Amino acid sequence: MRRIESQIDTNAADYKANYAAMSERLKEFHARQHAARFERPQRDIDRLARQNKLGVRERLKLLLDPGTPFLEFSTLAACREYDGVVPGAGVVTGIGIVQGREVAIHANDASVKGGAWYPHTVKKIVRLLDVALENRLPVIHICDSAGGFLPLQHGVFPDRYLGGRVFRNQVKLSQANIPQIAVVGGHCTAGGAYVPTLSDYNIIIEGTGAIFLGGPPLVKAATGEEVGVQELGGAVMHTSVSGTGDYRAATEQHAFSLAREIVSQWKRMPKTIIETASYEEPFYDPKELYGIIPKDRKTQFDMREVLARIVDGSRFHEYQPDYGTTMVCGFAHIWGYKVGILANNGVLFNDSSLKAAHFMQLCNQNRTPLVFFQNITGYMVGREYEERGIAKDGAKMLMAQGGSVVPKFTVIANASYGAGNYGMCGRAWDARTLFMWPQAEIGVMGADQAANTMADVKIRQLQREGKELTEEEIAAIREPVLEKYKRDVEAYTSTSELWDDGILDPADTRNALGISISASLNAPIDDPHYGIFRL
Amino acid sequence: MQRIFQIDGEETDCWLGHDGSRFVLNTPTGAVACQLDPTGLPGGYKLRAKGVVRELRLAVGPEVTFVHMDGRTYEVGRVDPAERLAGSDGGASDDRLVAPMPGVVVSVAVKPGDAVKEGQPLLVIESMKLETTLVAPRSGVVAEMPFAVGDSFGLKDILAQLAPEEE
Repeated sequence: MRRIESQIDTNAADYKANYAAMSERLKEFHARQHAARFERPQRDIDRLARQNKLGVRERLKLLLDPGTPFLEFSTLAACREYDGVVPGAGVVTGIGIVQGREVAIHANDASVKGGAWYPHTVKKIVRLLDVALENRLPVIHICDSAGGFLPLQHGVFPDRYLGGRVFRNQVKLSQANIPQIAVVGGHCTAGGAYVPTLSDYNIIIEGTGAIFLGGPPLVKAATGEEVGVQELGGAVMHTSVSGTGDYRAATEQHAFSLAREIVSQWKRMPKTIIETASYEEPFYDPKELYGIIPKDRKTQFDMREVLARIVDGSRFHEYQPDYGTTMVCGFAHIWGYKVGILANNGVLFNDSSLKAAHFMQLCNQNRTPLVFFQNITGYMVGREYEERGIAKDGAKMLMAQGGSVVPKFTVIANASYGAGNYGMCGRAWDARTLFMWPQAEIGVMGADQAANTMADVKIRQLQREGKELTEEEIAAIREPVLEKYKRDVEAYTSTSELWDDGILDPADTRNALGISISASLNAPIDDPHYGIFRL
Repeated sequence: MQRIFQIDGEETDCWLGHDGSRFVLNTPTGAVACQLDPTGLPGGYKLRAKGVVRELRLAVGPEVTFVHMDGRTYEVGRVDPAERLAGSDGGASDDRLVAPMPGVVVSVAVKPGDAVKEGQPLLVIESMKLETTLVAPRSGVVAEMPFAVGDSFGLKDILAQLAPEEE
């Protein structure tokens, strides 16, 4: 496989300006990520110490194999909700390595509002359990939660993908023979009591861990019975009387070493075999991505330059290099795994859509996972293209993409607008993981176009009522709409709402994809089959 | 033609096969049975071929392998046949820059009479919320730039014309 010949001049003024702009953005991003992970009000840190509990990050350290990667999801979830006081939505999720096995981890962060479940907490846990189901990953739950956040109970409890879905997914995991362990390092009250009880194995830490449907205050209010936490649902009672708990741990350290020991009892399932090559670092430095991604989102760039800084040896076998050139398709390796890559080099035309559809079928036939790199402003519009059937060709691309049986992975590298997001495996299309770069935008259309459209509707409405508007009045209508829309399409809004699995430093993309692909091979790949292609 | 190696700058077609009992080096002039055994020294091997035994040392890198034998060092690199055999891409370049999609001209970098190099930006267009820089398809002299900043153009309109190349 040939190496991509980079045309990038790292001394060019443009490159340097882009590099500076991206470095600035990343400084902010890393600071925000650090704050979400580690910075807490002193009173919360003091409370954990008083309760004799470890923080969630220390717990993960005890659980995971030392020196192995942990792919954390949605670190900045809820960063634009609840006045920013629920960092990470109060829960840590990700894929890590325990005793050499890939596992999905769901860990409450009791330093955030006592680990209470906010609407975004539930969304993040449900997503993690979906990841576990799709990739057949065992789950380790670290339970330490005050329960649902009552003032927002309508956003936590009733709907299809809310609280109940956590437990429903636990049932589905068990039904699919995917094991789960719960380590109870705090209270599991009411619904929360079902996390450890629906797990195949659970461990309760003496003194801090407890499981009950109703805590002592609720029991007193309901029946008048006065009972302490330990008698009602502590480690000793559950592991010796009720059988609700399996193992009693003397300390946190004991609990996590037991959890590791349990993992090593499991039968190791064979992973799906795909084509592999020996591992090779990219020939071009991934950090050069900072200078390649234009500081102005509207400026076009060559995705081959991006791929050259992500794939093994910067080697790429391009498919149909001279046809439908706004869609770059081809084969490469990431961490040694063979993948089929689809990357946007401009608007999707009829030919580029057909090329994408054909290439995805090749990859399915070949059992080759698909990786999408989005920089898409949409499918081409206009009479000429409608006459050529752009909607029909776009439908073929969706049919091939949505009907793919191979694992899919998506990186929103820059623009992700409109139906282009769908064709390129946006959130609704079951990418096993989907990440965004910090400058990327997602929305039905670009900020300017959307603001103009929304403002025009309002202006015409006022004009119909006979009002003549001055330039200033029109600007006064347009500006606030534009400001709001600009914020709404930002990567931070997307990641706050869990429309992605996290924002990535572009230089980390290769490793995030490598872990994702490796994890996906825990699930089998079906034989290819599709719906009807509108020919 | 299955394998091409570059030995000290010279290209040689050859590939290694196995006839069931030993390795066979296939070359355009015939097949040679050979055997390579490690000597225990770092990178050290004994090569047997055509009844001759030679000691050699190998240093294997990602791009080239160095073979040290009889007091000489040979540099052996693998040539990618698909790349080597691709030839030049499609012959003469076009004199014209054709609009890949309808849009508006954002900026124009050159004027008629300017000498340009292949790959030099000629103009920037905007279409579908995306600014695309269009570059010279070959080196030459600009004959015509039909559109000014702000002009709209249609699909396949000619956005730049280079003067014909003198034979």
